[in-house]
Order: sequence, then C-alpha cells, then structure tokens
Amino acid sequence: MNTEHAASKAGLAGAPAPSPTLVRLAGILTLLGIALSVPALLGEADRTRFGFAYLWSFVGLWSVVLGSLFFVGLQHLTGSIWSVVIRRTAEMLAGSMWLVALLFLPLLLFGIFFDQFHLFPWVDESNVAGSHLLQEKQPYLNATFFTVRAAVFFAAWIAFAAYFVRTSLEMDHGRAPADAGGALRRAAGPFTLIFALTATFAGIDWIMSLDPYWFSTIFGVYIFSGMVVASLAAITIAVVCLRESGRLRRDVVTDDHLYSLGVLMFVFVCFWAYIAFSQYMLIWYANMPEETAYLHNRLQGNWLAVSIALALVRFVVPFFALLSRRAKMNPRILFWVSIWLLAGQLLDLYWLIMPELHDHHPVLGWQELGPPLLMTGALLWYVSRFLARHAPMAIGDPLLDQSLSFRL
Amino acid sequence: MLDANAKTVGMVGLYDNVDALVQAAATVRDAGHKNWDCHTPYPVHGLEKAMGIKPSPVPTVILTAGLVGLIVAIALTGGLSAIHYPIRIGGKALLSWQAFVPIYFELFVLFAALAAMASVIFFCKLGRWHSPLHDSGIMKEITCDRFAIVFETRDGDESHEDIRAMLEETGCRDIRPLLEQEDEDNSII
Repeated sequence: MNTEHAASKAGLAGAPAPSPTLVRLAGILTLLGIALSVPALLGEADRTRFGFAYLWSFVGLWSVVLGSLFFVGLQHLTGSIWSVVIRRTAEMLAGSMWLVALLFLPLLLFGIFFDQFHLFPWVDESNVAGSHLLQEKQPYLNATFFTVRAAVFFAAWIAFAAYFVRTSLEMDHGRAPADAGGALRRAAGPFTLIFALTATFAGIDWIMSLDPYWFSTIFGVYIFSGMVVASLAAITIAVVCLRESGRLRRDVVTDDHLYSLGVLMFVFVCFWAYIAFSQYMLIWYANMPEETAYLHNRLQGNWLAVSIALALVRFVVPFFALLSRRAKMNPRILFWVSIWLLAGQLLDLYWLIMPELHDHHPVLGWQELGPPLLMTGALLWYVSRFLARHAPMAIGDPLLDQSLSFRL
Repeated sequence: MLDANAKTVGMVGLYDNVDALVQAAATVRDAGHKNWDCHTPYPVHGLEKAMGIKPSPVPTVILTAGLVGLIVAIALTGGLSAIHYPIRIGGKALLSWQAFVPIYFELFVLFAALAAMASVIFFCKLGRWHSPLHDSGIMKEITCDRFAIVFETRDGDESHEDIRAMLEETGCRDIRPLLEQEDEDNSII
C-alpha cells in the first residue's frame, strides 16, 4: 500500500476532528464520578462499598477493552475482509489498554497492599490463619504473585494492543512495512493463545478469588463469553454513532457490514447463555456443597430476582431482539440492543462480585455509582482524543478495497 | 418429443452478461409481472432487489417449528418424569427443569432444522420430474455462461407479443418460446 493510494482513500473516512459533545460528556461523567467517589472514601463502611464498586466497574471496563483487542486479533487471524471498514473502532478501544492498567493501580494498592477495601479474603492474614484451605492456596493466592501475574497480563495486552494499533495507524499514512498485513496475521496466532490464558487467569484472580473457597473450571470461558458480547456491543455503539454523525459514510459502512456485526453479537449472546447454563447445570447436577454454596448465595433473598433478571437481560431479550434479519441491519435497533447488552455485562459482573459483600440483598446506592461514572468518563475522554487524531477507518489496509465491496 | 400439438406456455429471454440481466429484471419488476423468474450460472448480488423479491417465509416457518419442538420437549420430559412415571432420582425434584434444558434445546433445534429443510424444498418447488424449461435444453446454456429471464404464460394474462416487445426493449436479442405437449401441465417457475 503506497502513500498516494492511502491518501485517495482518506476521503472515505473524512479528516480527524474533535467532537465537542463527546468531550463535554466525558468531562461531566468524570467530574460526577469524582464527586461521588470522594465522600464514599471517607467512611469505613462506604469505603468497602466503594472498593467493590471500583472492582466491579474496573472489570467492566477491562472486559470491553480486552474483548476489543481479542476482536482485532481475531480479524487478523482469520484474514477477515468484511470487518476492515469497522476494525478501527475496535482498535480504538483496544488502544486504551494502558488506561485500564493505570486504573488497575488503585485496586492493587488499596485493595491488596493496604487492604482498605476488604475485597479478597485471602489478603487478610487473620482469615488465612483460621482456614486450612486458604493456607493450602497461599502459594497461588498471595499479594506478591498476584501482582506479578497482573503485571505479566498487562504487559502482554499492552504490547499486543500497541503493536496491532500502531501498525494499523502506520498503514493509514503508508508508513508500514510492505508485509505488515502478513506480520499482523502471524502475530495474531500467538496472541490468541496468550489471550486465552491471560484472560482466564485474570478472571480467576480478580473475580473468582473473591470467594477463595469456590472454584469453577468453566469460569474463564464464562468471563470470555461476557467479555466478547460487551466488546461487540461497544464496537457497535461506536460504529453506529460514527455513522449517524457522518464520520463514517453510509455507503462505506453498509447495512451488510452492520448485519455481520449483529450476527456476531447474536452468536455470542447465545454462546454466553450456553456457557452460563453449562456452569449452572453441572454444579446443580453434581450437588457438591463446596460448589453449590456459590450459587446458593445467589439464589436466596433478593439475589434470586437478580439471577432471573440476568438470564432475561443477557439472553432472552437480546435473543429475540436480534433474531430477525431486519433487526441486525437496523442501526437504531443495534444501538439500543448494544446499550442493553453493556448494561447486561454490568449486571452480570454485579451478580458475580457484589454477593460477596451483601449477603441477602443487592445494594446499589450513590456509593456504588462513582467508579462506573468515572471510568466511563475516562474511556470517553480517551475515545474523543483518539478520534481527534486518527481516521475512524483503517484507510491504509490492503484489504480495504475488498471490504468496501463486501456484500452478503 | 414435441409434436404439432405443442403449445407455447412460456417465454425465455437470454442475456450474455449479468448487468443486462439485472437491469432487465428491474424493468420487468416495474412493469408489474407476476409469473417470472431469473436463472444465472452463479449467485448474483443485488438480483433479489432488482427482481423485487419479498422476504422469504422460511425464517417464520423455522421459528414456529422450533417453538413447537420446545413445547413438545417440555411436554415430553415433564409428562414422563413428573406425571406418568414419577420416580425420584438422585434426590432431585420430579420436575427438574435444569436437567431437561438440554432436551428443550435439542428438540428446538431438531424441529427447526427439519422444518428448514422441508420448507426450503417446498418453497423452491423442488421434487418436480421435469418442466418445459428443463425439457427445452436452455438450462444447459444457463448453467454454462448465459443469464435468463423466464416467463410462465399458461394463465394467458399476458400475451407473448407483449413479453417479446418488453424483452426486446431491454436489449435482449435471444428470445425463445417454451413449448409443451397439450396433455401435460408442468409448472415452469
């Protein structure tokens, strides 16, 4: 791909431009998040609630960003043509991995080393001293190894995200090496392997170890399935917004491209239901106390309503909403289903994390709302910065021509 | 073989390139014809739109059959294990829906898949022994390198001359009638 050709394609994407609306929205959400977080940090009880909410929203942000990185890697691995015109939005989200790592630091400092949030029972030495099982798990569940693992995860994700995004941006200006496409494809194989392992262990470390007595061998896949749905929803929202605002032309990102996104989303909605039910049914069938306790906590009191809502929100409603061919081509429907699915991801993570703090009753007050607002604001600030500097489409990709003429 | 009694039951317009066919299809669509179809050697993007084909009823049939399968599965598992043979196994409740979800899923898929197969065969009118179009030998050209619009005129609503005139207007230079014996009655499209 030479420079002239890339430049001739630049007309398809339009010049990078800052969006005042996005900047304003990001600013408002961030300030609101900070305003709600500060008072929550002052009281002892509120601080624990804040900690759980921080973990909850952090994992939500992480799942969107890492899922987008997986999406980018998957497109390179399969040599996908249809996705070239919309891949940049996934690259944009994946490129914020450094921001996710930055937001992980408070969790590491105050959640693990100073233990201000009382998140993980295995951090507290009095808990460990009183439990033989926790002592046996010490070689894995200890602060040092936890930190080393997190560092390795983030190093791998940031390295791959930087490589995928930088190469794609270099292609925009014709500065990438001649065989950049092949190099991306070759990197995507090892990436997928490393992604599978790191995502699984991150899920175990950050979510499953909240209840160190419980285990589920399918937990990594469960986290993965929710992550892919959430990131596809975020990518779809970005594509639809860019298309509605005129940054992406309707004859460039066609209904056929939207349909393909919708199909992927629909498939992973079903995949999540399949995995979630598999986990539930095996635990229910085997009926072993150390496994059932986890589900028992989530099926008693008002948590039962949350569990039922989870099945409806994450599977039944989006399944029927996305079932028809017309729905998958309709930007409006795709947009609202995506918003719904992101809310579903937050509900799912709430269901996984919060029962460890609130036994019988789900609680959601202002103490919980600071972190999610803050992190949404931070992500939107990053997105607005990215869009002000880079084209919203991979205009230098050698496969772009084929992708433009993609029809079902 | 066709003899002197053969009557004309349809018209075929043959085109040499795909763009001419798609344009002609749009013309025929706008002229408001009903009994006609296009044949091409390979799938042509945009042809459905040019022909004005309405969405297929197949998805609705599949969903309906799938839901029927779901109801059958619920009735089958619940009826057997809770009503007709109420045997308690492994300390579980008689109506243990958790254990039956895989069966709900499988029967949903089985019914939907069989209905998909059957409805595709039905709506594509597969399973005919022969039709005037196939007997004419034109299909041999279509499956090689030609593109055709086929009209069925058995109901007599449209005259062959009108169709011929319209096809000529679209630039078609190879227009042929489809013949059939008096005593036969095979649908063309």
